[in-house]
Amino acid sequence: MKVPVSWLSEYVRFDLPIEELARRLVFSSCEVDRIIRRGVADDDGNLGLFLVGKVVEAGQHPNADRLQLCQVDVGEGEPRQIVCGAWNFGEGASVAVALPGAVLPDGTKLDERPLRGEVSRGMILSERELELGVDHSGIIVLDDAPEPGTPLADVLPLTETVLDIETGFNRPDLTAIYGIAREVAAVADGELAPMSGRDPERAADEPVDVRVEDFEGCPRYVGRTFSGATISPSPVWMRARLTAAGMRPISNVVDVTNYVMLALGSPLHAFDRTLLAEGRIVVRRARPGEKIRTLDGTERELDPTDLVIADAERPVAVAGIMGGENSEVRPETTEILLEAANFDPLTVLRSSRRLRLRTDASTRWEKGVDPYLAKNAAVLATQLIVELAGARWTGHTDVHAELPQPPVVQLRPELPERLVGMPFPVEEQVARLQRLGFEVDGDRVRVPTWRMRDVTRPVDLVEEVARFRLEEVPATLPTREAVAAQLTRSQRLRRLAEEVLVGAGFYEAYTWSLVPLGEGRIPLDEPYSTELAALRTDLELGLVESAERNRNAGVERVALFELARVYTPVGQQLPAEPWHVGAITEGGYLGAKGALETLYRTFHVEPQFRAGGGREATTPEGRVRELDGGWGFFELDLDSLFERVPDLPLYEDVITFPALKQDLAFVVDEGVLAGDLVAAARAAAGPELRDMRPFDVYRGEQVGPRKKSIAFAVAFQSPERTLSDEDAAGLRKRIVQALSERFGAVLRA
Amino acid sequence: MDKVAAVDAEALEREALDGIASAKTPIELDEARVQYLGRKSPLKLALREIRDRETGMRLNALRERLEAALERRRGELELPQEDEAFDSTLPGTPIPRGTYHLLTQLRRRIEDVFIGMGYEVYDGREVETVWHNFDALNQPEAHPSRDPQDTFYLDEQTLLRTHTSPSQIRAMMEQEPPVYLVSLGRVYRRDALDPTRTPVFHQVEGLAIDRHITLADLRGTMAQFATAIFGGHREVRMRTSFFPFTEPSVEFDVTCFLCGGAGCRVCKYSGWIEMGGAGEVDPNVLETVGYDPEQWQGFAFGLGIDRIAFLRHGLPDLRLYWDNDIRFLSQF
Repeated sequence: MKVPVSWLSEYVRFDLPIEELARRLVFSSCEVDRIIRRGVADDDGNLGLFLVGKVVEAGQHPNADRLQLCQVDVGEGEPRQIVCGAWNFGEGASVAVALPGAVLPDGTKLDERPLRGEVSRGMILSERELELGVDHSGIIVLDDAPEPGTPLADVLPLTETVLDIETGFNRPDLTAIYGIAREVAAVADGELAPMSGRDPERAADEPVDVRVEDFEGCPRYVGRTFSGATISPSPVWMRARLTAAGMRPISNVVDVTNYVMLALGSPLHAFDRTLLAEGRIVVRRARPGEKIRTLDGTERELDPTDLVIADAERPVAVAGIMGGENSEVRPETTEILLEAANFDPLTVLRSSRRLRLRTDASTRWEKGVDPYLAKNAAVLATQLIVELAGARWTGHTDVHAELPQPPVVQLRPELPERLVGMPFPVEEQVARLQRLGFEVDGDRVRVPTWRMRDVTRPVDLVEEVARFRLEEVPATLPTREAVAAQLTRSQRLRRLAEEVLVGAGFYEAYTWSLVPLGEGRIPLDEPYSTELAALRTDLELGLVESAERNRNAGVERVALFELARVYTPVGQQLPAEPWHVGAITEGGYLGAKGALETLYRTFHVEPQFRAGGGREATTPEGRVRELDGGWGFFELDLDSLFERVPDLPLYEDVITFPALKQDLAFVVDEGVLAGDLVAAARAAAGPELRDMRPFDVYRGEQVGPRKKSIAFAVAFQSPERTLSDEDAAGLRKRIVQALSERFGAVLRA
Repeated sequence: MDKVAAVDAEALEREALDGIASAKTPIELDEARVQYLGRKSPLKLALREIRDRETGMRLNALRERLEAALERRRGELELPQEDEAFDSTLPGTPIPRGTYHLLTQLRRRIEDVFIGMGYEVYDGREVETVWHNFDALNQPEAHPSRDPQDTFYLDEQTLLRTHTSPSQIRAMMEQEPPVYLVSLGRVYRRDALDPTRTPVFHQVEGLAIDRHITLADLRGTMAQFATAIFGGHREVRMRTSFFPFTEPSVEFDVTCFLCGGAGCRVCKYSGWIEMGGAGEVDPNVLETVGYDPEQWQGFAFGLGIDRIAFLRHGLPDLRLYWDNDIRFLSQF
């Protein structure tokens, strides 16, 4: 919220530069987003060029129909000739004048120059030119006829500093200028004025017909009636304050409700009482099918969860959010019903969300406004309505359920030091609490009503004490008896998987966890979009899309992997969230398989490939295949893979006794798979067949039609002795025999 | 075998030396090189088959003699020496290598810094119960973040976690204090997808529960963390804030890692960068997980890492993290 400092200063006296004040508030109370300077710049004597003027002569400009030519007394003896485009004043009016040389808030510098042949030696100002309001249909006519030549700044708030403040969810009290003043008093050791507003004399004691049917939604409703009001613009001071606080002035009665909301934090609403059926207010939930056209001109369908203010027949406001057009205060209104109520935060929040309507009022109610404030708000508003609209206050009612009692909390003087880590003398704690309105009696602390939602326990008092000294908190490290930490096995192995793939040329991708709806995928209750509507069960979609994007962008070598969770339903509330790794690369099936083999090798796990149809194979924990577009792709369930990773690889002696290496080529039928030959050879030869790798496949005349020759690099080795040529021959014979029997394989010479 | 090799070697040497000496042109010389020293030459094949040390040494000596003869002959033919003809500015043989995603790099650094301080890395869950994500964290029923307009629900009781804080609850329910952990991962909010917001992003959660852990310890730990991650000397300041699961609550800022505190566009000329929220774990939370708040206390913190890397590396758009454009990924 925007806090004009001149307004703030009415509630608290402090002696700090505004920047320092803002800095302290930032630590102790609320965000101060900006310090805004508004209005006339107060430097180089600029302010002195703005004076009160008295129009001594006003008449038609000789050369321009739409301009007035005025003689204005600004206390210089001789009046000044000023050309003016407004017509809402005449001879005798007191006006705001800027002399040549003056710099206006928008940066324009006035100079003395002829306008249509007549020299204008100054400017008569409108509200907008002074940033006091938005109205520029006419110039400002000052009340009470101040002496010509009086500095304008004595009469109007020409310069203003505004604190732009953001308040937290837990501090409804800070959505009011008075609440900010209370914090300022605490941080700046300032003096807080009592809350303003005094009930004027009541002119009558007529009954006010307010019926609250739902005390849960509306714990309190103060209703006050007024007669004989005159609706007109508010005085300049109020218009200036509202404008500086970021609100548009409308008319005196409406402005009063806004002004009091800003001042005290409890929103109000004013109804034209003659427009309320039977003059009655009923606070209830909306009935099915009820509608209301709110003040923003929108027709809104209400829901039975919405709390409404109704008259005897129909809703006249959505409680705590916005009034209805049907009971709005209009220029001709004279009879007013003022509402100073208290609404349940959750009720307001839900309706505001459902209706997609957030207002200055609703954002306050949803934080939980102090129900005791309703009375203060009613009093201040009453005083102002009587003063500004010339109304008579004729009736009062205060309908409420039992209001919550502010809690009494135990003061535990040791607690701040225990939690913050620096000493807080008990006298200091007491003084700080008292300054904030807490009543301290020994170790019993009564929480002020405006903090009772937020401060209920001893630990909450710690914050009230500590927040003013956060800058002084030392920087220490925990003292621990034992310090030891490491990654878990799964975390370590996941890092290793990433390292292998990065080393193998793959770039790590992050793709969305959300994918389109599909079989086996858990859907979102409300999709984000058609593309992001359900939880993925594998990593393929995101990787394929990313790879295609790269290819389309002309990237030369595309290879991506992702290591992330997928979400598989397991028939319980929460799905399983296994870690998967997926990778996509150019080079088709074999490109992906090569990387996958490297991964398995790193983990010391035998992949145990099983051929799928064509360019596809599976392992116990995943599969590798070729996708459209020539992409090679694999995906593994890492949790399963890690179960097969040996904790400790043991040394195998492959150094003492050399390996016997030879190449063997077998001619087999087209349908025979190299992997099956290797498996059969291993079974036949036993562990002394150390390695057998296919390195060439040949088809052609020499092997005959529908046949192929697969060449293997074979190594025989024993950890116990040097194998002789005879040993090798024996092993080879066993292999040849086995392959011949099982596959009809023929050894090529 | 040994005998055969010896005989072969002598014959081979004679033949090879003859062949080299009789080469008259660079082409003939290269043919001789292929014939006697090429990959499929008898000598190279023999070298591959060697099984005893002595033969190996002899054949290697022969290879060196033949190479020397080849160089000599090259000199005689006035061909440029190998060294002279070599352009050392040519690029090396390419060895493809990928990169870690920028956020993985940052994530690992953070994990390592905290492991160094004795914190475990805790893998939380992404699909969570409303209870773990909100209720157990003392989140009031009226808190706006519970709204389906902000949160992805799967059903009334299940959601995609909106922060990493439910990891605190899980970890504390699984183990007895003291607890020191960080938990990093994806979190989900129904935000717009634009240059400054993404509906999926990443947070780091930290939790330290022991006998006497204070806000001062939080400040010191954060300063240690910031110095380790951003280098140089980093100050941390704490401002009052509100989170349902900490009391007192603070926001913490770090000396701007771009201007070092002098003031720049990124820190809006304040000299500070907002890092995240923190505080002393609320006694209600401790009671919920079965820890006695009179015996155990500590701090928790949470911060988003996407924005940190975004600011530090000068990224124009957060969506770059998810586009996986190799032209982007390969820069880090």
